[in-house]
Amino acid sequence: MSGPRARTDEVELGGTRWRVHDLALACCALEYAAASVRLQSARAGADDSDVARHFDLLPAGPEQADVLVVSGTVTDAMAPAVLAVWDRLGRPRYVLSFGSCANSGGPYWDSYCVTKGVDQLVPVDVYVPGCPPRPEALLAGLAQLRRQVAGVPA
Amino acid sequence: MSPGWPARVATALAAEVHDDFGLARVDVVPGHWADAVRTARDELGCTFFDWLTAVDELHDGYRVVCHLAVPPAGGAPIQVLMIRTLLPRDEPVVASVAGVFAGAGWHEREVSEMFGVVFADGTGGGLLLPPGFVGHPLRKDFVLASRVAAPWPGAKEPGESDASLADPADPAAGAANRSGRRRSRPPGVPEPGDWGPREPGTAKRGVR
Amino acid sequence: MSELPPRSRGVIALVEDSCTSCMLCARECPSWCIHIDSHGVTEVPPEGGRARTTAVLDRFAIDWSLCMYCGICVEVCPFDALEWAPAHAYGESDAGALLHERERLGDWLG
Repeated sequence: MSGPRARTDEVELGGTRWRVHDLALACCALEYAAASVRLQSARAGADDSDVARHFDLLPAGPEQADVLVVSGTVTDAMAPAVLAVWDRLGRPRYVLSFGSCANSGGPYWDSYCVTKGVDQLVPVDVYVPGCPPRPEALLAGLAQLRRQVAGVPA
Repeated sequence: MSPGWPARVATALAAEVHDDFGLARVDVVPGHWADAVRTARDELGCTFFDWLTAVDELHDGYRVVCHLAVPPAGGAPIQVLMIRTLLPRDEPVVASVAGVFAGAGWHEREVSEMFGVVFADGTGGGLLLPPGFVGHPLRKDFVLASRVAAPWPGAKEPGESDASLADPADPAAGAANRSGRRRSRPPGVPEPGDWGPREPGTAKRGVR
Repeated sequence: MSELPPRSRGVIALVEDSCTSCMLCARECPSWCIHIDSHGVTEVPPEGGRARTTAVLDRFAIDWSLCMYCGICVEVCPFDALEWAPAHAYGESDAGALLHERERLGDWLG
């Protein structure tokens, strides 16, 4: 698929490994990349042992992913492409909206060409606020999604 | 810029050169637009096309601006040149320079969809807007509908609440509400009634 | 997770006692994400003199789904009623829950 670069990582849930696909639309994609790098270095023995236990990295495509992270502004012109990627996700599938643009249109809420939040197109399971959110916020958001799906109270 | 540069530009383009804070700028008539850009490339060595855009100058029309450069070579510094032309508002047509710089094609497509400027013999068509988009968004009279539709949180005065705005007789309303002081409006939002759906029969006198 | 510096741009906290409902932050916010309601209270000073009206804050809310964390509200407040706080993980399953009312905004203070 031509268009935005995609990243797929793996998020571990107990014995179930969850793979995460990043729809890298704008600046928030860099924070996603930073979170991915953080996971790799954690595995190499840095601080975040808790993160290292539950998250892993394995590039793949949306067909292998369980979670779609939407990182960045969804323009009206890009909306069909966002839907196309979401269609290709495995089942069950979850969406994490990352950053203000994906949450609501964010600073571009009044633009002539911006979709006011990816939830205008697809159902969203977790909204992570920030502009951009820190990489730690993404990891916390994914952990929250895990708990939500597992039915664990927040 | 180098001391000899403005003179060389003036001679080659047969036009007055202005120094805009160290940037050489030339204004040409629309009929000479493509020739000027070609001359800049062929006779002045401006082989680097930087960008082409437009400015909505309101009553004056649309100003198409092209930024070119002579790449630095052999220790000589880079020279930059801005060529501009002013198009009438009611007929914003100018020649395309995509034949001079192929890269200008994309810039012209963006300008044509954002401003409505027509580039004769250009590739035409849009670039960024979704299909079916109505209007030219970078024109200054293009209203951002979201800003008109969404209630501005700053419309209230200190001492007002959403409830008191709804009921001017509410004693909890701030003094400003009772005094009928003209409310400030956020930037880009026209006067109520100037834009958008209108109640039948509320047209202003003299407006169809 | 690493400790963040205290003035990290994570979330904006409200010092409610300092807020005079002047509306400056709500007006300057580019995302239109600050919602303020207030009412006027008129008092005649016991020692005499003209009546004075002050605005009393009823509602102060920030919608984090729109906020771009530019900090203009923090800078423009003449009474330093808004402060940066380092919290960064406050995601929600419902976008409406990202609208924090004044009590929660006060909780973000250290």
